[in-house]
Amino acid sequence: MKNYGFTAFLLLTAWAGSSSVWAESAPTASHPSTQVALMASSCANCHGTDGKLAGAIPAIANRPAGVLEAQLLAFKQDQQPNTTVMNRIAKGFSDEELKALAEYFAHIGQD
Amino acid sequence: MSNSTKDFSVSRRRLLKGLGLASLIPVVSACDSKDSSATANLSAPSPTQAKAGRVLVIGGGFGGATAAKYIKRGNPAISVTLIEPNSTYYTCPFSNLVLAGERNLDSIGHNYNELKEVYGVEVIHALAEDIDGANQSVKLSNGQTLNYDRLLLSPGIDLRWNAIEGYDQAAAELAPHAWKAGEQTLLLRRQLEAMEDGGTFIMSIPADPFRCPPGPYERASLIAHYFKQHKPNSKILLLDAKDNFSKQGLFTSAWQELYGDMIEWVGLSNDGRVVRVDAANLEVETEFGSVYKASVLNVIPPQKAGFIADRAGVSNEGGWVPVNANTFESTQVQNIYVVGDATLAAPMPKSGFAANSQAKVAAAAIVASLAGITPPDPYWANTCYSLLNPDYGISVAGVYKAEEGQIISIPGSGGLSASDAPTSIRQAEAAYAVGWYEAITQDTWGS
Repeated sequence: MKNYGFTAFLLLTAWAGSSSVWAESAPTASHPSTQVALMASSCANCHGTDGKLAGAIPAIANRPAGVLEAQLLAFKQDQQPNTTVMNRIAKGFSDEELKALAEYFAHIGQD
Repeated sequence: MSNSTKDFSVSRRRLLKGLGLASLIPVVSACDSKDSSATANLSAPSPTQAKAGRVLVIGGGFGGATAAKYIKRGNPAISVTLIEPNSTYYTCPFSNLVLAGERNLDSIGHNYNELKEVYGVEVIHALAEDIDGANQSVKLSNGQTLNYDRLLLSPGIDLRWNAIEGYDQAAAELAPHAWKAGEQTLLLRRQLEAMEDGGTFIMSIPADPFRCPPGPYERASLIAHYFKQHKPNSKILLLDAKDNFSKQGLFTSAWQELYGDMIEWVGLSNDGRVVRVDAANLEVETEFGSVYKASVLNVIPPQKAGFIADRAGVSNEGGWVPVNANTFESTQVQNIYVVGDATLAAPMPKSGFAANSQAKVAAAAIVASLAGITPPDPYWANTCYSLLNPDYGISVAGVYKAEEGQIISIPGSGGLSASDAPTSIRQAEAAYAVGWYEAITQDTWGS
């Protein structure tokens, strides 16, 4: 526990440092990764936190960005047969937003 | 009032930056947990936390639990304390499966262990009794008074006792509402099990707005499923205070297909609005004087925001909470954010999914506000699954954004399951409903 506490202290310090750098570098506008993370958080309700939960609904984390983007666009354009709900959801995002979501989830590692 | 005050909803989330950070969070939390053997103690925030800010979250349902988790994910240095009377939260979603005998209550119960142990959220099991918005403090039933930099309320709903004559807390022990899951769910289940074949189950359904718009109709469907197997001569009568309801076409055509004439729905224009309940005799009277006798009576009464919203001064004359569409901060009291069923957030419905989605937006806004930066633009989503039987699912979905201070449904997105979908699609949606439940409860209470 003591070792943990020490490690945590170092990490907290590191975090506090990066936090202030981040705040200074983006004082007026939203950080792009924050914006995409908020948009992507909508996906967690069905795909689990960070898109990692695999069950009746598949995980979406750590899959190639190109595959995810093509899939999302196919949903949006009603080109994916037997779709239940993703066609209705994908239509709520621009193509650029879908691309950003695909890249976001592609970079999340699965445990 | 007292037994109707602990219910909640809310939501939204974020990684501040990069994924490296996310992987650090569990280690940091191991230190921050309120375990008395840990070197850090959240009750006395460390200097780093004091600088990052202190957030209190009231209500441990979909909204509050999600907000607590996602604030910690956004900035683990923020001190987050969740105030919730119960150690287990039973979800309204899937409680209709408990009524139908398809699940047990334990399977819809969720605790706060992972929020504490993985994310470093402090959890206090007490009732928040009063809020002083000017002094930024909350008084708890255990005698504590806590100060906050930001407060997030996810108070859920209170039932309006006596809004229907004769329907009060005592009546709810005879004619359950079961609109907050737990003991009420078990009571209604026992009554359905004890009912003789050939009996009549009556449900009184309120006008909009109320928690879970498709919920009463899913309940009718799943109880019909139970009757069809075990009490096939029974009837279901739905007395409704409105003329239109969520997914109406999908429900009514499936009722015919699956249950023949077992379910009868009477809308407002046909004298469906119940105005008086005689719980002792299991009788209800409608606006124009029709009296119906039930074998089992389920009264879902009109609702309002949980009482703590009134104490905080954030509710309006209608009993609901107006919020800033971009952040879900109260429009009436600064530094208080409100999410979930208690809010006026149309076109988003009062659903657990919406509460979770709103909590993530509010969490992002709180994290940004404490850091002194502009919050990200909000996005919300919603998908409400309803089960007509355990293998027949339908859904309504929506994607939302804020435009000129209003929440809008993004044109062309969302909508209902296709009315002409084949059986295979209904089966797929039923399976996805289960997948959704597993995912949203993990996203809300798990790690």
